[in-house]
Amino acid sequence: MKFFLSGNEAVAFGLLETKVRFISGYPGTPSSEIIPTAIKLKKQYNLKGYFEWSVNEKTATEEAVAASFANLNSAVVFKQVGLNVAMDPFMNAAITGTVGSLVIISADDPGPHSSQTEQDSRFLAFFAKIPVFDPSTPQEAYEMAKCAVNFSKENELPVMLRTTTRISHSRKDIEINTDGFKNDLDIDFKKNQDRFAATPHFRYLLHKNLNQKIDKISQNNTPKMFFNGKTLIITSGVSFAYLYDLVIRYKLENKITLAKFDMPYPVNQDNLQKTVDTYSDTIVIEESYPLIEMQIKNRTSVKGRLDKTVPNEGELTIDTIKNILIETKILNTEKSDIVKPPFKKPSLCPGCGHRSAFFAIKNVFKDDAIYTGDIGCYTLGINLNAVDTVHCMGASVSFAFGFDKAYSLANKKKPIVATIGDSTFFHSGITPLIDAVHNKASFLLVILDNSTVAMTGNQKTPSDSEDSFDNPANSIRIEDIVKALKIKFFKTEDAYNLESSEKILKMAKKFIETNNEPAVIILKHPCVYTKEGLSKNIHFNNVFVDEKLCKGCRICIEKFECPALVFDDTKNVVKIDAATCINCGQCVKSCPFNAIRIEK
Amino acid sequence: MKIAILSLGGMGAISLSKIIAQIAINSKLSVKSTEIHGMAKKGGLVEIHMKIDEVDLSPFISKNEADFIILFDAMYKDYALYFGNNIIGLTENDKNYVISKFKDIKFANSFLLGRFIGAQSIFTKNDALKILENFKNKDENIMALEDGFNDI
Ligand code: SF4
Ligand code: SF4
Repeated sequence: MKFFLSGNEAVAFGLLETKVRFISGYPGTPSSEIIPTAIKLKKQYNLKGYFEWSVNEKTATEEAVAASFANLNSAVVFKQVGLNVAMDPFMNAAITGTVGSLVIISADDPGPHSSQTEQDSRFLAFFAKIPVFDPSTPQEAYEMAKCAVNFSKENELPVMLRTTTRISHSRKDIEINTDGFKNDLDIDFKKNQDRFAATPHFRYLLHKNLNQKIDKISQNNTPKMFFNGKTLIITSGVSFAYLYDLVIRYKLENKITLAKFDMPYPVNQDNLQKTVDTYSDTIVIEESYPLIEMQIKNRTSVKGRLDKTVPNEGELTIDTIKNILIETKILNTEKSDIVKPPFKKPSLCPGCGHRSAFFAIKNVFKDDAIYTGDIGCYTLGINLNAVDTVHCMGASVSFAFGFDKAYSLANKKKPIVATIGDSTFFHSGITPLIDAVHNKASFLLVILDNSTVAMTGNQKTPSDSEDSFDNPANSIRIEDIVKALKIKFFKTEDAYNLESSEKILKMAKKFIETNNEPAVIILKHPCVYTKEGLSKNIHFNNVFVDEKLCKGCRICIEKFECPALVFDDTKNVVKIDAATCINCGQCVKSCPFNAIRIEK
Repeated sequence: MKIAILSLGGMGAISLSKIIAQIAINSKLSVKSTEIHGMAKKGGLVEIHMKIDEVDLSPFISKNEADFIILFDAMYKDYALYFGNNIIGLTENDKNYVISKFKDIKFANSFLLGRFIGAQSIFTKNDALKILENFKNKDENIMALEDGFNDI
C-alpha cells in the first residue's frame, strides 16, 4: 500500500519493519516526528515495543544501548545538537559494540533553520568510528533505516542514520508492506565483563576489534555510479538528489559522472583514489562538512569545501549547487539569484503565557538585569528584551551562576534573571541548580512551566501523569524537586495573573539582593497552541482597541509584542487581527491609555 | 505538475498539501513534497513545494518553475512571483468570509483547494470530495471547497 510519508515517518516504518522494538530520544527539530510515528504504529498494529521520550539525549542513548545489550533491536533519535549531549555513551558504544541492533538517528539542520549549529553528525560517526548512512530522499530514508538495522546486527556495531531537515521534512509516496511487523523477541543479556565492564587496561583490545570491523566494512564500501561524463562529482545524501535532477534538467549526462556513497564513512580509500585518478577533474559535493573529501588521500585534482569551491557554511540548496556547476564551467546558463522569503521576526504565539511572564519580569527588573535564556519557545523572550544569552540546553541556569560569580569577584552586585522551560529544566537545568544552591550563587530562576515540549510539537514531559500511550505514568513535579533542594525563596503563580506575578517577582528581587542564594519562581500557564490548552484558556467575547483612546504610540506592540496587535497605517492606530487573536485579554495592561478594551 | 504553497502557520497549508497528495496517490500519480517552517508556530511562513507526476528526485521548485502558487497571504505575493505567475490567492475579503462563515481560519485550506481544483485540469472536484468525505468537519470542509470552486 502507498503512504505519503515524510522522511521521519519513513524512518519509523523502516525501523519497526526490521524489528526495532525500543526507541528512545528527546524532541528536537527536525527529528521530532519519528517517535510519534512509532507510537502510532505500535497502537495500530498492536506491537510489543517501548517507544517513548526520555528526559535527555544522554539518558536516551544509555537506555537504548542497554536494550541492545539485551539483544533487543533498538534506536535512539535526536537532532544534531542532541548528539553532543549523548557523546559519552555514544563514543563508548562503538568500543563495546552492540548485540541487538543499535541505530543512532541524528537529524542535521544545515541552514540552520531551527538550531544553534550547522554541525555534521557524520563527522561524529567518523570520530566514534561507526558506519553512517546518508539518505538522499524519504524513500532512501525508509530503505536505509532498514539497512542500518541489519548492518548493525551483522557487524555488532552501532550504526548512524543521518538525515537533514530537507529529508526529514520532505514527503513522498512510498510503498509499504504492513505485514512486516513481527512480535517475536529473544531477550537475553549474556554477561561478559571483558566487554561490557572492561577496565582501561583492556580497552585497547576492544578498540583494536573496532578498527578491524571498520576496516572490513570499508573494503566493500564503493560508490554507485551514474552517468558518463568527464568530470567526476562525488556526493551523498540530499546533495545527490539535487545533482541528479540538475543533470537531467540541463542534459549534463555527457559532462558529469556522479559517484554516490550511501555510506559516506568508512569508504574504501584505495578504491576511491583509483576512481579519482581516472578523471582529470573531481568535485566533492556533500551536505555540511567535507567527510568523503577528507577520506581522499591525494586531493591535488579534487575541488570541494577544502579549496572553497563549495561554500563552507549555509545550506547546500539546489540553487547553490547549480551555481557551483556554473562556476566550475560545467554548466553554461545564467546563475540563480538566491531569493529568500521576506524575513518576518518570529514571535511567541498570540496569548502565550510566556509573553505575560516576560512582560512581568521586565516590569520588575527593567533593563538592569542580565537575562540568561534557554532553548525552547521562550527563547523568543528576546523580542521583549528579556533574553540576553541563549547557548545550549540548561545554560540559562549555569550562565546565571557564572555571571554571578564573575561579578561578585569584583564586589559588584548585578541582578541576574534566568528563564527556562519545564522540559528543558528536566533535561539539564536541575544539575546547575544543584551547583548554585551548594556553591551559593545568587540569581532568580524563573521556570516557565506550560506542561509540554511546545517548541517541537507538544510532546509529553516527565510531569505528565500519562505516557504517550495514555497509560498512567508517575508525574514528577518540579515543585517537589525545587523543594528537595531546600531553596529558601520559592513561589508559584499563574503567568496570566500579572499583578501577583509582579508582586512575587519584586519579593524575589529583594531576596537575591540580600542573600547569596538562588531564588526560584514557577510561572505556569498551559501552552495555548494545544487544543486542550486553547479550549481551557480564558476567552473573552471580544478584545478590541478603542480607536478614540489609542494614541498610535505603539507602546503595546513594543512592550507586549503580541503578533495579533498590528499597526493600521491608514488610521494611525493599533488594531487587533481577528484571524490570530485568541481573545485572552493579556495585552490590556500593556496600554498606558487604557485603549485596549475587553468585552466580557 | 509543480505547486508551491505559501502560507502562515495555523492556516492548514500542510493539511492542504496532504489532501492534494492523497488525490494524486488515488489517481496513481507519483507525488513528493517538502515543507519548511520557521520558529513561529502561529503566523510564521510555511512554505511547501510539491511535484506531482514528475521524474525529479527532489521536490524543490526553482525560479519560474511552478505551475501554480497557492498563496494564503498577500504578504508573500512578491516571493510567490519568484516561483511563477499563476497565483491562486486568498484575498483579505476571502479571509473575512471564511472566518465569518466557518468561525475558524483553518477552513481557508478547503476553500483554496476548491479554487485550485477549478484552476487545474488533472483532477476533478469529485477526486477532492472523496478525500474530504472522511474528514471530521466534512460538512464545513465540503462547503468551503464548493465556495472556493465556485469562486464566490
Ligand atoms: S507553542 Fe505554546 S509555548 Fe510555544 S509560543 Fe506558542 S503558546 Fe507559547
Ligand atoms: S487578546 Fe491581546 S494578547 Fe491576547 S491574543 Fe489578542 S491581542 Fe494578543
